[in-house]
Amino acid sequence: MPTISIYHHDLEHLLGRSIALHELEAWLPLVKGEIKDHVPATGELRIELQDSNRPDLWCVEGIARQIRAALQQQPVTYSFFSQKPRIRRRIRVMPGLETVRPFVVACCARGYTITEDSLTQLIQAQEKLADLYGHKRWTVSIGLYRLAAIRFPVTYGLVKPDEVRFVPLGFTEKLTLGEILSIHPKGQEYGEILAGHTSLPLLWDQEGQVLSFPPIINSQDLGEVKPGDTELMVEVTGTDLRMVLLTLNIFAVNLADRGATIEPIDIVYPWTTEWGRTLRTPFTINQIQRISVHAIEAALGVPLGAEAIQQALAAYGYDVKASRHTLAVRLPPYRQDVMHQVDVAEDVAISRGYNSFTPLMPAQFTVGGLSSVERLSDHVRDLMIGAGFQEIFSNILMSREDLLSRMNLPDTPETAVLEIENVMSHNYSCLRSWIIPSLLRVESASSRSFYPHRLFEVGEVAIPDSTQENGSLTLTKLGALVAHPAANFSEVHTTLDMLLYYLLTPYILEPIPHPSFLEGRAGRIIWNTCQIGLIGELHPAVLEAWHVEKPVAVFELNLDTLCQRWAQEGLGVIP
Amino acid sequence: MDRSTLSESLHPLEIQVLAAFSPSDHVLSDQHLHERCQLDSSQLSMAVGWLVAKQLLEIKSETVTFWVSLTDRGKEYLTRGSPPRWILHMAEEAEQAGRHLTIPVLLDAGQFEPTEISRAIGALKKEGAIRLGAGGVIERTGQPSPTAEALETLLERVRDQAQDLLTLPSVLQAVARQYAVKRGNPQEPFRIEERIHREYRLTPLGRSVAVACQPGVGEEEISQLTPELLKDGAWRTKRFRKYTIQLRPPRTAVGRRHPYREFLDQVKFKLISMGFQEMRGPLVETEFWDMDALFMPQFHPARAIHDVYFVKYPSHAGHIPEPFLSQVAAAHEHGGGTGSTGWRYTYDRERARRLILRSQGTAVSARTLAHHPAIPGKYFSIARCFRYDQVDATHATDFFQVEGIVLGEDITFRTLLGLLTLFAREMAHAQESRFLPAYFPFTEPSVELHVRHPQLGWMELGGAGLFRPEVTHPLGVTVPVIAWGLGLDRMAMIALGLHDIRDLFTADLEKIRSMRRRLF
Repeated sequence: MPTISIYHHDLEHLLGRSIALHELEAWLPLVKGEIKDHVPATGELRIELQDSNRPDLWCVEGIARQIRAALQQQPVTYSFFSQKPRIRRRIRVMPGLETVRPFVVACCARGYTITEDSLTQLIQAQEKLADLYGHKRWTVSIGLYRLAAIRFPVTYGLVKPDEVRFVPLGFTEKLTLGEILSIHPKGQEYGEILAGHTSLPLLWDQEGQVLSFPPIINSQDLGEVKPGDTELMVEVTGTDLRMVLLTLNIFAVNLADRGATIEPIDIVYPWTTEWGRTLRTPFTINQIQRISVHAIEAALGVPLGAEAIQQALAAYGYDVKASRHTLAVRLPPYRQDVMHQVDVAEDVAISRGYNSFTPLMPAQFTVGGLSSVERLSDHVRDLMIGAGFQEIFSNILMSREDLLSRMNLPDTPETAVLEIENVMSHNYSCLRSWIIPSLLRVESASSRSFYPHRLFEVGEVAIPDSTQENGSLTLTKLGALVAHPAANFSEVHTTLDMLLYYLLTPYILEPIPHPSFLEGRAGRIIWNTCQIGLIGELHPAVLEAWHVEKPVAVFELNLDTLCQRWAQEGLGVIP
Repeated sequence: MDRSTLSESLHPLEIQVLAAFSPSDHVLSDQHLHERCQLDSSQLSMAVGWLVAKQLLEIKSETVTFWVSLTDRGKEYLTRGSPPRWILHMAEEAEQAGRHLTIPVLLDAGQFEPTEISRAIGALKKEGAIRLGAGGVIERTGQPSPTAEALETLLERVRDQAQDLLTLPSVLQAVARQYAVKRGNPQEPFRIEERIHREYRLTPLGRSVAVACQPGVGEEEISQLTPELLKDGAWRTKRFRKYTIQLRPPRTAVGRRHPYREFLDQVKFKLISMGFQEMRGPLVETEFWDMDALFMPQFHPARAIHDVYFVKYPSHAGHIPEPFLSQVAAAHEHGGGTGSTGWRYTYDRERARRLILRSQGTAVSARTLAHHPAIPGKYFSIARCFRYDQVDATHATDFFQVEGIVLGEDITFRTLLGLLTLFAREMAHAQESRFLPAYFPFTEPSVELHVRHPQLGWMELGGAGLFRPEVTHPLGVTVPVIAWGLGLDRMAMIALGLHDIRDLFTADLEKIRSMRRRLF
C-alpha cells in the first residue's frame, strides 16, 4: 500500500480543470485512495493507495487518468500502442541473460520538456514501482536516460565484473561493476539480486557508452535526467515479461499524459518469448475477454442490464462492447489486474459508486453458538470470579527465560518450546507453553497493589507435538495464582476442589517432584488416570527469579483435555 | 453534619475526652487530660487525634521542655559513688594503708569501665584534687573536686523524679549535659528527654458537643453486635454507637472479569445473537492455511520475513491435506478451473508447509471452508494473531482479530452491504454508515465500512468482501461467501479510557483493578 506525494496544481493541470479538495475526496474511492495529509501552503497532498494490483494508480498521472475517464464517461485512449515508428530503434538482447535477468523493454518520449515538478513525480513513480511492484528491484527495475546521447542499436548483454568501467550516477570516477557492487550505496543495497552470477547484466550503445548496470545503477553520462531535457528513453528490465511490459506501459502513458510523443523501440531477443522474438514496445498483451452479463448481475445482486454495465466499465477506462447477454471487454494497456470476472464486477461497482447499491439484509436463518471449549472456558471463568479471583489477560509471546529458567526448569537446547526464528524482541520470542509464567509476570510487576492477590487467566498456550499436522498443539488452559503473606498450598487446593466439584470432575492429586514447586507441595491433578492439571506452592527460587516477595501457590488446568474427557465419559457437552 | 448527629456518632474514647472538660474550663493540658480521663497515653492520643480531625478540639499551645532522669548506670553510681568520688575514696584508703594506688589497680577493681576511669582521673587532675606522682602513683592534694560534688548533688536530685533541666542550677545543668546519654555513649548516669506539652481548647462546636457528653454515657455504648448479645437478649439494654458513615471505607479485592476480555465477551454474545457460530484454529499455522488458501501469491510482499513470525522448530508441518493442496496450487498457478487466470508462477509446495504464527484471523475461516461448513451458515472467530512489528503505543506483539464468514446461495454484493449495515448498528450503534472500495488479496469486491459512531464521529469499523472463487472453489465451497473483519480495538480503548494499546494486556495489577468501562 504506497503513500505518494502529489501537488494540487499538477493534478488540476493533468485533469484539465480545477478541482476543490472535497471534490477530490469524493473522486478518490475510484482509485481506492485516501488523503492522509494536506499542506495548503504548497498544495502538497499525501495520498495512500490501497490496491496493490493497480500500480498504474501509484502516481498523480494515474489518479488523474481514472478521474478523467469518469468525468468524460469514456476511456482515455492512446494511439501509440499500435503505431509504426518513424525511426527504427533497436535493443539487442544477448544470449545468457535467461538465467540472470532475462527481459528488457524500452521506449522513447519526445517533445515534452521535463520540469522540476514532473521530474519529482517521475522519480517517485520509478521508486514506488521498483520497490513495491518490482519487489525492491528483484522482478522489475526502471531506468531513464537522455535519448539524444544514445547511439542505437543498444545491446543488453552480460559482462565480467572487471571487464567494463563507467561512471555511475552520483560519482565522478569510473568504476568496474565489481567495484560498484562493493562500494556504491546502490550496489550495497541491491547487489544481493545478482549474487552468485559470474557475469553481470549491462546496457551499452553502439559506441560502447554504458547506459546502465541493471538493476543497480545508471551511468552518470547517459542516465542523469534533468529539468529542461526534452528527449527521454525509458527502459525496464526484470524477471517477468508481463510485469516488465506493464511497467513500461505505465511510464509511456504517464509521459504521454504530460504531452510527450511516445515512440516505440524494437527489442530483439535471441530466444522466443511468449509474444515472439521481436517485441515492439510499448505494447499491450491484454486480449478481449467475454464476460456474461448474468455473472456480473449475480455477483452484484442487481439486474443492471448490459447497457448500464457497459457504461460503468467505459467510465472506468475499459474498452467494452456489449451485446444482450455478453460483454466483450478489454483492459486498458496500463492494467493487468483482471484475473477473474469478479474483478470486472468490482470495477462496475466502483464505477457506479458503492453507495448507489441498496444494502439487503441476509435473510437466511442460522443458529449462533460457541465451541464447547469456549463454553467450558466461560463456565470456569464465572466460577473463578465467584471465588474472588481477578481475571488477567496477557500477551502470549514471552521469553524463553520466562518459561524455563525463571520457573527453575532446565533450559537445554532440547527443551521443547515453540520459538520464533526471526525474533523482533527478545521479550517476545516464544509462544507460552503454560499460563503460570504469565500470571507471575503480573505478580512481579504488582507488589505495590494491595494484597491479597488472587489472579487467574483462561487462555491459549501452544506446545510442540510431532503427532499433530502443524507439529504443535494449541491448548486452552486455566491458570490460577494466590499471593499474600500467608498464601499456601491449602488455599489453592480449596479453590481447585470447589472448581472440580462444580465441573463434575472427581479427581485425585498425585505428588510429584517438580523444580518449580516446593518439594512435597506439588502434584498432578488426575481424573481417571488422565492428567488434567498441576498444582503446587512455588519454590522460593522461582519467586526470587521473578522478584516476588510473597509466598505464591498456583494451579493450572487443561480445559481442552477436560472437554475431551467430558465427551468420552458420556457427560455430554459442557452446559 | 449537625451537632446531635455528631455527638451520637462519637467513639466512647472521644466522649471520655470531651467529658473531661468542665463547662468552666475549655482549656486543658495533656497532663490534665491524662489525669482526668484515666486513659493510657496511646488511647488518649488516638482520641485527641480524632477530635482534632473533626474540628471539635484544637491545639492552643505547644511547649517543649527537657527532663533529666537517672539511667540504670546512674542508679549504680548512687550506691557505689560516682567514678571521681570512688577514686578519691580509693586514694584515701591507700594512703591510710600505706599502699600505692595506680591506674592499673583502679582498672583491676572492675567497678567502672576504663573510659569512665580515665575521664574521672582527667577531671580530678584538672581540678587539682589529685596529682600523679613518681611511678604513676595517685595522690590526693586535699583540694575539693567540684565535679564529684556536682555529680553527687545531681544524682540525689533526680533519684526519685525527673527534673526540669532549666530549673536546675547552672553547674548541675552543665554536669547533666556532660554526663547524659548520647549516641554512641550509652554508659552514662543521666538521660535528658524532650517532652512536648500541649494545651487543648474546645472549639465552639466542641463546647456544645461536650455539654451533651455527660459522664458515664460512654460505658453503655456498644460498637459491635455479637452473637452473645443476641443469645442472652442483652442487646435490649444497650445503646449502639452510631457510625460516621461519611468516611471512606477501606478498599477490597474482588473477583472480576478483565475489562478488555469483558468487552470481547460482549462482542462474542452480540455475534451469537445475530446467528454466528464460533470457530477456532491453531496459533501455529502453515503458510498454506494462513496465506496460500487465501490466494495470496507466495511472492506477495506481505509474506516476507519482516511481516510474519516464522517458527524455529519444527519449521515445517508434516503434510498439507489433499485435495486442498493440489487444488490451491492449481488456482495459484493457472486458475485451476475456477475461471481465473491464476497468478502464473510455479507454486512451491515445500513453502506451503512452512510453519508461522497465525498472522490473520482469516486463516481460521479458510480451515472452516475446507471442513464442510453449513450452508446457509454464519461463523466468527476472535483469533489471536501475530505480526512482525516493533511494539509501541499502536502496535502490540499479539492482538485479536474479530473475523468471520457468511455462506449462502443468496449472498451478493448487496447482502454484503446489508451485513455491514447490521454490524454498524449493532457493534457501533451507528445510524449512518458508508462504504468505500478497498483491497484485500482474497476478496472481490472488497469494501471498507465507515460508520458515524455516536461519540467518536466517522471511523473505520471493518473490512469485508466476497471471497474470490480462487479461495472458495479449491476448498470445496461453490456458494458465494462473505468474508468480514471488524477493527474493534479502538472502540475498546475508548471504552476503557486507554491511549496505549499495550495497556490492554498490562501486567500492572493496580491498573487492571482500577480500569472501568462504559457498557456499549
